[in-house]
Amino acid sequence: MRSYFVTFRSITFAQRGQSLLALNNIDAALLRTPKWMQERGCGYCLKMKQEQAWPAVQILQENKVNFNKVYVQRENGEPQEVKL
Amino acid sequence: MIYLDHGATSFPKPAAVARAMAWALGRCANPGRGGYAPSMAAARLVYRCREQASRLFSCLPEQVVFTPGCTQGLNMAIRTLVKPGMTVAISGFEHNAVTRPLHALNARVRVCGRRLFDWEDTLAEFQRALEQGAQAAVYTCASNVFGYILPVRELARLCGRWGVPFILDAAQSAGSIPLDFADLGADFAAIPGHKGLLGPQGVGLLLCKTLPEPLVYGGTGSESENQEMPPYLPDRGEAGTMNVPGIAGLSAGLETVNRLGVEAIGAKERALCRECGEALEDLGCRVFLGPHQGGTLSFLPKGDCEELTSALADRGIALRSGLHCSPLAHKSAGTLESGTVRVSFGYNSGREQLGGFLRALENSQKI
Repeated sequence: MRSYFVTFRSITFAQRGQSLLALNNIDAALLRTPKWMQERGCGYCLKMKQEQAWPAVQILQENKVNFNKVYVQRENGEPQEVKL
Repeated sequence: MIYLDHGATSFPKPAAVARAMAWALGRCANPGRGGYAPSMAAARLVYRCREQASRLFSCLPEQVVFTPGCTQGLNMAIRTLVKPGMTVAISGFEHNAVTRPLHALNARVRVCGRRLFDWEDTLAEFQRALEQGAQAAVYTCASNVFGYILPVRELARLCGRWGVPFILDAAQSAGSIPLDFADLGADFAAIPGHKGLLGPQGVGLLLCKTLPEPLVYGGTGSESENQEMPPYLPDRGEAGTMNVPGIAGLSAGLETVNRLGVEAIGAKERALCRECGEALEDLGCRVFLGPHQGGTLSFLPKGDCEELTSALADRGIALRSGLHCSPLAHKSAGTLESGTVRVSFGYNSGREQLGGFLRALENSQKI
């Protein structure tokens, strides 16, 4: 199972996103953004299962929770930005 | 002790406030600075408080900026919207936390509405100021000296109509007068954590509709490679390590406010204030009472204000006399020379305390 990561510029956005997703029964873990996903240094991300990524992004967009990018960590460990 | 100085700070705090602060000191590291458990515990706590405040004041969690207090929030808001030489409308009942920052900015201050408890005068004078070119408005929701509750919704609507930015000083009202920030349409609302929200001193909130200009620059735990402060809320207004124990205490205070209910707290305070005012009049004091009054009143005793509060302090009664950091309010009411004695009720005030105070006052005035 591949994990998806939604990155945020601010921990507050990530927390608001996590809170909104929980209300919609989407379980997302709040993590420090790994270095390979960072763009401007320091940030947080929400990690979720593949099948939850698309509905999660929709919920975030509908609620105007700003996020940066969505990444998938492939089975070989390599990151890849995805456009959902 | 009979504590009737809630306008200065709520006291004593609910026991849960100290417990929450002790918990935070033992469990929380720096929020937003790491992914390890104590940092994440701190981040959860901070966000929880943001959410509580956002629910209480009807705004988004990221619109809640934590500050060291209401004064700091007012300074940030004023520095964002007021430039030197601008004409700024204020009421005749503003605190030095409003007037001093405006003075420091060399703003042209237009004081409008000096008649106590008179909404018609407050609104008419403000309308006139707008017609004559006021470029910003800073208004208190309730006078810290006289408890006069200003018509802030109407003032904010006028600002909206004229396209003039509006800053609300909610120092004396948050926690006892409902505030719907989204509906109000103000650019900023500054709120202390330690008064009506029952938190500890050293923490406050600035509700932001507009992106603030930072007062302090530094680390935010975000966009570290960017030398500009982040261009988004709340990070732009929150440089440096946050007061996590203070925020933990504020969160516990907000929980108490929610449990008791803002409307219920306000109604109790207003009823006590009215009863107190009428009793003081019976004792021969000059009392400033009127419609649109919250849980605070001022009175002039038969003798000197300072001497009276000093004598009452010896009897275990806590009141504040003098100018209450609001010389403008005293000028408006004609009490600049004498000052007044202020009685301010809070969430834990009751008739027993009121009775104790009145008996002590009667005895003091007999001496």
